[in-house]
Amino acid sequence: MIQLYNVCMSYQKDASALTDFSLKVPKGDFLYLTGSSGAGKSTLLKLLYGAEKPSRGQILVNGMNITRMRSWRIPLLRRKIGIVFQDFKLISTRTLFENVAFPLEVQGKKRYEISNKVYQALKHVGLQGKLNRLPLQLSGGEQQRAAIARALVTDPLILLADEPTGNLDDDVANDIMELFKGANARGTTVVFATHDREMIRRFPRRIVVLDKGRLVEDHTP
Amino acid sequence: MLQTIGYFIRRVGRNLRQTPVLCSAAIGTVAVALMIIAFFGIVVINVQQVARQWSREIQVVAYFDRVPDAGKLQGWKASLKNLEEVQQVHFVSREEAFKRFQKRLGDDADLLEGVERDFLPASLEIVLHEERRNKAGVEAVVARLRQIGELQDISYEPEWLERFDAFVGLLRVGGFVFGGFLLFAALFIVSNTIKLTLYARREEIEIMTLVGGTPLFIKMPFLLEGALQGLAGGLLALIGAWALFSLMLREGLHGVLVVAGVDGILFLSATQQAILAAGGLALGLVGSLLSLRKFVRI
Repeated sequence: MIQLYNVCMSYQKDASALTDFSLKVPKGDFLYLTGSSGAGKSTLLKLLYGAEKPSRGQILVNGMNITRMRSWRIPLLRRKIGIVFQDFKLISTRTLFENVAFPLEVQGKKRYEISNKVYQALKHVGLQGKLNRLPLQLSGGEQQRAAIARALVTDPLILLADEPTGNLDDDVANDIMELFKGANARGTTVVFATHDREMIRRFPRRIVVLDKGRLVEDHTP
Repeated sequence: MLQTIGYFIRRVGRNLRQTPVLCSAAIGTVAVALMIIAFFGIVVINVQQVARQWSREIQVVAYFDRVPDAGKLQGWKASLKNLEEVQQVHFVSREEAFKRFQKRLGDDADLLEGVERDFLPASLEIVLHEERRNKAGVEAVVARLRQIGELQDISYEPEWLERFDAFVGLLRVGGFVFGGFLLFAALFIVSNTIKLTLYARREEIEIMTLVGGTPLFIKMPFLLEGALQGLAGGLLALIGAWALFSLMLREGLHGVLVVAGVDGILFLSATQQAILAAGGLALGLVGSLLSLRKFVRI
């Protein structure tokens, strides 16, 4: 599903964010991307959803070489990817329903289809009773669940998560983790960036460790 | 397609409702900018009116030594009328010249008692087309007249013509430079005001790009919104310009223009009003487009 070959990425000439990085993630895999702050986790995720272009190397996502992809095709790639962020990135002036409906509106889905899918997605994360609330009227855990509902509402092939439990306490983080496990069980490939070793211990999966932009460890428990 | 258009319209409506202050600021900015342009336009239109009035006095008069016979006269008139500069050629006989002079003297016409009625020379009065009432046009006519050997004198006031040409040129260049500057300043201000509204919605734009929105899909509601705000600003500018015209300009300019020989002061014509409103729409659209370039990056 995801292949990276000798990928290098640098934001400045003398500072490399990723160095000669190669990785294969099969379809349906669940992978932790871990390492200390500045190790290159977020950069790697940005490369996968086309927000950055590598300085060198090739990246294939679902068979598409995104290093050679023209910019007008990037949105089409992103429609196959769900993204969850640490800071949720919900639109504060829109209700939960509107936030979750956003990716479907972008894809030009019909209104009745949007209503149905959004309701199902919110029900799946346990927020069907709060669909008319604004994000700031919810707790952090609820906001992250809404963000996951938004990421999953389009049935993406890949789910990318950048420290999604970083701002949440353990109990809430466990609930969030269950949602990712559920999505993975239904066939979605999950790449989960975190530096929370306790989380990895509780839910053991394949781990890829980065250090200063280099892959230093890749093992499956 | 209809569904997408419906979506854009709903989004525009929602955006306008959600940020009424910024929306009003954008409309107000367009309105003020266009009102200044409209104000300047009214002044230019009326000064042009003065120039047009003055240009009516631009004519060439050719005086004859002797009254030519009818055949020759017809030939010269026809030859002059063939010039593209010439609108009208009128022969003024000695008798007609005398009557005009008498009329001009008014109460003092009795001064002419005892004077022979044919003491004034016959002449040809040549009126030029409005767009040819300049130094070049007059000189073309004078050149043709010089080919007629039986003329005593040609009157066309070359110095006045030069001054008039310089005035019209200055008006034109000044209009373009100042109008262009105003338009550029308006575009700059409007674009920055719209940038503020986009800045307030930057999280929405960012999320749209992350969930797979195409640049056109993301930009379209903002462009429509900008166009709508621009149009509203343009209409508001028209109302404001009319109010300003009625309350201040009409009286103020009228006094100046009457001295210059112009009867009434003009407001923008229907076409110019439509151009101003369309200009508002274009200003909003271009302002949004310029601002969006920075905000929408895939």
